[in-house]
Amino acid sequence: MRRAIRLRAIAPYALLLPGLLWLALFYVYPAIQMFLTSLWTGNISDGYVQTWNWGIYPEAISEYWPWLARSIIYGGLATVLAFALGFPLAYAIAFRGGAYKNVLLFLVIAPFFTSFLLRTISWKIILADNGLLLGPIKAAGLLPEEFRLLATPAAVIAGITYNFLPFMTLPLYVALERMDKRLIEAAEDLYAGPWRPQGTIVGVIVGAALGFVVGAVMDYGALTLAIPGAIVGGLVGTFLISQAFIRVTLPLALPGIFAGSLLTFIPAVGDFVNAELLGNPQSLMIGNVIEARYLQVTDYPTASALSFVLMLAILVGLFIYARLLGTEDLTGASI
Amino acid sequence: MTDERARTNPDLTRRRFLQGTALAGTAAFLAACGTPAKSAAPSVAPSAEASVPATASAPASAAAATPATSGDLRWANWIGYIDTAEDGSFPTIKKFEDESGIKVTYNEKIDDNETFFTSDLQAPLQANLPTEWDLVVVTDWMVARLARLGWLEKIDTSLTPNFVANLAPNYKGRTFDPDTDLAAPWQSGMTGLGFDQKKTGALDSLEILFTDKYKGKLTYLSEMRDTVGLSAIRLGSDPAALTQEQFDAALAEVDKAVKAGIVRAVTGNSYVEDMAGGSAILAMAWSGDVLGLLVPDQKPDQDFQWALPKEGGMLWTDNMVIPKGSPNTAQAARWIDFYYDPTNAATIEAYVNYVCPVAGAKEVMLSLDPEIANNPLIFPPDDWVARLHQFRATTADEETAWSEAFTKAMGL
Repeated sequence: MRRAIRLRAIAPYALLLPGLLWLALFYVYPAIQMFLTSLWTGNISDGYVQTWNWGIYPEAISEYWPWLARSIIYGGLATVLAFALGFPLAYAIAFRGGAYKNVLLFLVIAPFFTSFLLRTISWKIILADNGLLLGPIKAAGLLPEEFRLLATPAAVIAGITYNFLPFMTLPLYVALERMDKRLIEAAEDLYAGPWRPQGTIVGVIVGAALGFVVGAVMDYGALTLAIPGAIVGGLVGTFLISQAFIRVTLPLALPGIFAGSLLTFIPAVGDFVNAELLGNPQSLMIGNVIEARYLQVTDYPTASALSFVLMLAILVGLFIYARLLGTEDLTGASI
Repeated sequence: MTDERARTNPDLTRRRFLQGTALAGTAAFLAACGTPAKSAAPSVAPSAEASVPATASAPASAAAATPATSGDLRWANWIGYIDTAEDGSFPTIKKFEDESGIKVTYNEKIDDNETFFTSDLQAPLQANLPTEWDLVVVTDWMVARLARLGWLEKIDTSLTPNFVANLAPNYKGRTFDPDTDLAAPWQSGMTGLGFDQKKTGALDSLEILFTDKYKGKLTYLSEMRDTVGLSAIRLGSDPAALTQEQFDAALAEVDKAVKAGIVRAVTGNSYVEDMAGGSAILAMAWSGDVLGLLVPDQKPDQDFQWALPKEGGMLWTDNMVIPKGSPNTAQAARWIDFYYDPTNAATIEAYVNYVCPVAGAKEVMLSLDPEIANNPLIFPPDDWVARLHQFRATTADEETAWSEAFTKAMGL
């Protein structure tokens, strides 16, 4: 009897063990190695010596903060855009998917059956200056000959958004799918009608702000996109958003939003493939810097320091985000 | 029939994998971190002369001038870089095995120099241990780095009469291999102008890469030695004897063009997609890409050409080298000698279509396939060879400083 109880007490830890070992071996150990590497001094010819050169951190940050900042902005924007695309998608599949739910979900995941690299390279072909998309538009005279989508920040952000969209959509879908739809009916019975005029106001402000930031970052001029953004936001807020949505659906979807935005944001900030293939020399990200420092310059200490700074920055951001959105919502997703 | 024959398969080209493998490279780096500080091994001497290790190990020198007739050869090469049969076997290697009695383990393991260096060479050689390879194929500058570090075995040239006799003269006494006994050229490629002649007309000058006539429609290469090399040639410098001032001047021109937005992107192989889709109509380009990838798929309104600029172009070479501590140097020498038999070289060339470093292979090729033999991109005529420059070996400090300066100019 006592024995059984003791076994039962150990069981959870025993179950944790494989996962913890895995993490210790493939996450903690490399992280420690990387940290130690960042405090080396030397070069590839004479070898490296552990000198505990802490000065590398302020040096690396002061030299590369523009790339860090750019990565966080690009990653953040890609996350917001993935949410703007992924939420309606997840909503439609969860609430209107009917018999086709599984097919639709499969279609969301389908791009993963092709390699990340190939998908991104295929964008180069589709978005080429005279390619499938722009070729006919230019031929019709709707865009100037020198207009381009590739080799711009817009292409990088769009590429990241596309590549990580399923990471956003799936957690949102899970959260929306398990929602008790009767709660919405109940809210409607209790006079939760259209969300006016607040919806219009919020929609205009959010749309304008998003348009402003996207326009500024993507080099199209902040105001060019702020006005259409405000119009679209206003229309969505006025006609599509109901009080039931604001008071019931959105709060219940929070765990999905939280998980989805983390799953998108973290890899997006560290991504370097999109910037390398779709960007230009003015739109490179911190991942590209780290790659070049490791492999081309063979400056392992700086590369490791930057990787570590990036990891810390993400962890701190995560912590703040978790505090703001509430960790119980996060754990709520798994109960 | 000949048109369809063994042109380099687009999926299998040597430089295709630059971008994606960086991921693997980073992982490999972590694995390679096991030996952080400089080992006590005396072999890592900074002085250039002292760093070259003594010739092959005892068994090989005891057998001097008697070719190996048994044993193993473990060889790492780039993908698609040797003749390959339909079933995936390698006929020329089979022939070598039958002739020599040596068993070859051939692995198409190398995707790019940096990654292979970090994954397979750095850790063991730093710890003074043998690698798992007897022969590896790496580009000039990596040979220079390995030689500088003292991480190469010499090729016992008494075992390689064909190599001594048939190496094309412009490969002899290169700056990183003054005695021509560290590196045996495998294939070369040229860096020059790639363009869509229907959009640009015929081009023959490097000047066009630095003016804004095709602003936003041209690309540079992310290989420092190609991009800076071409810029230096345009300024009248010889990349084979580049001074710091000349490097700075050449890089300043590159930097200016990038900052001015003349350069659309700095790419590895992916300029091929840019050109195929019409995004770029002009590029610093590798001869093999234009011939092997762009021309076969061009649309009716495209006419891809590769030109060696009148000022000159770059010649880069991938070389067979023997990593330090290999127990099979005599077997490696036997293969090198086998390859430098013009008949064998021509057989491989007919499949690979890069520039062949073996003198006499062209004559053999004339009987095999005159079309290839007369293609200047595969067998460059003498007046082309005179205009081709090789980037000189750099010191350790230069290698770091120059690649750092270059990555800065590229926006990193």
